[in-house]
Amino acid sequence: MIEIQELTRTFGATTAVDRLTLTIAEGEVFGLLGPNGAGKTTTVRMLSGLIGRTSGDATVAGFRLSDPGSARKLRGAIGLLPEEPGLYPDLSAAAVLDFYGRLYQVPAALRADRIEKLLTLLSLWDRRDAPARTFSKGMRQRLAIARALIHDPPVLFLDEPTANLDPEGAKTVRDFLLELRRERRTILLSTHLLDEAERICDRVGVLHTRLLAVGPPAELRAGRHGHVTQVQLAEVTDAVLAAARVAAAGPVEVTGGAVAVPVGDPGRDNPALVAAIVAAGGRIRFVTEATTSLEDAYLTLLGSTQHGNPQPGNRQPAVTQLEGTTLGGPQ
Amino acid sequence: MSARNVAVVAAKDLRITITKRSARLSLVIFPLVIAVGPPLLARFTGAGHHGVPAVLMPRVLDAFTFYFVIIAAVLPTAIASYSLVGEKIERSLEPLLATPVTDGEVLAGKGLAAFLPPIAAIWAASVLFMALCDELTRGELGRLYFPNTTALLIVGVVAPLAAIFGVEYSVLISSRLSDVRPVHQLATLSVLPFAGVYVAAQVGAVTLDQPTLAVIAGALAALDAVLFAATRATFRREEILIRWA
Repeated sequence: MIEIQELTRTFGATTAVDRLTLTIAEGEVFGLLGPNGAGKTTTVRMLSGLIGRTSGDATVAGFRLSDPGSARKLRGAIGLLPEEPGLYPDLSAAAVLDFYGRLYQVPAALRADRIEKLLTLLSLWDRRDAPARTFSKGMRQRLAIARALIHDPPVLFLDEPTANLDPEGAKTVRDFLLELRRERRTILLSTHLLDEAERICDRVGVLHTRLLAVGPPAELRAGRHGHVTQVQLAEVTDAVLAAARVAAAGPVEVTGGAVAVPVGDPGRDNPALVAAIVAAGGRIRFVTEATTSLEDAYLTLLGSTQHGNPQPGNRQPAVTQLEGTTLGGPQ
Repeated sequence: MSARNVAVVAAKDLRITITKRSARLSLVIFPLVIAVGPPLLARFTGAGHHGVPAVLMPRVLDAFTFYFVIIAAVLPTAIASYSLVGEKIERSLEPLLATPVTDGEVLAGKGLAAFLPPIAAIWAASVLFMALCDELTRGELGRLYFPNTTALLIVGVVAPLAAIFGVEYSVLISSRLSDVRPVHQLATLSVLPFAGVYVAAQVGAVTLDQPTLAVIAGALAALDAVLFAATRATFRREEILIRWA
């Protein structure tokens, strides 16, 4: 549904997006993670046909960015929620949707149906005739989401959909996004909220001018650190440590009464690890899997980038390809 | 260019315009003052308060008719200024430009929405003006002065061209500023060339006869074409999203 090849955008001497290559499958929800200034909005704008690209190309819903003849059709096939809702404060919610429905050439009867359906789904139907200026931030954001859906697009670009919303407003929007996910729409969600990405997205990519890593959130978490089994013991002896090191896939760390043992596959390796520790005289209190948060993984990725100080045109391995994943979407 | 898209954008902007009390008032008050004030001046001022002498009356009435050109240049600037700067302030251009509408269609729709209400108000006011003038000067002149070719040329040709000038000039200023008030203040300077023509006519440097008005209309049409090209060059989506914000 979305195929991006070496997409690059520079502004003067500054490279905003550097050789982005990615495939997002039909029905997939893909989260584009990154700090402010990472190139997320520029990417969304390029894919929406709002701004041009410096090099590279992309196909969105079957339309190539490089084909100027299909620009109008491309924009008709996508729904965009920009960072700011960008509503008309003097127009009512229904009038805003009616205006956009007309621009997308949605027939009148269908337009009326969609306006009612979307405003009802987003809990705005009772306020349909109220000017948008009387809406709360959360209501404006919901109205902007309804606007992005008025023409029932197969592809949605959502730029920071819950930014600046209070927890209740953010939850309402997230619940609606989960509903969209169930409808199997192709969604590119740009966010810096990792928890949101983990809950909503099938896969995520970490962008910091370049795409640093891509994969399902769980694998992104595990991908940088591998799996670590934490064994809490009554006492850590040299014999226990030696047994743990034999079974470990990497350096073993000791913290208080616990040993953290990297393993390749916990399901396969943990029974042997436990047996080895018990055989060495270790008295195990409990065994858990040490989890790395997505935030840890994300910060590690960004930290390594900042230390690596990537420069435009610096051709180092650009993407961490996670175990079992490809840059393409789920097949 | 899709006329349908232009009409949709224009209808939206018109809808927003009519919600604004200040816009409604300016569209009514200025044309009404021009429609009523000058005929009363022509009739009830002058030597012995018997009005302007009949021999001077045609020249005075033509000069008064030219007031409609002056307000045509300035009235659309308020609507055009808000139309673009308002979208900047509300950040509503990005979702608008993400639709299948082209830059030219947005620009044309906005221009139409800024042009139509003032010109409709001016035409309505000019009918009132001419009727009042005829009523008040018929006795002095012994005939109905309006309508005549000169007045129709002023109101029907020069005033719309002046309004287009005001709209395009406002668009150009709007591209550089992000606050409605200074944009509107600068945009009202569009009145200067027309005020200059009026003053020149009053001091006898030019005569507002049909050949002169035809030359003014031709020059304005050429200027409008140049400004239209300049606004098209300015109003490009990439320029708007990256530099205007």
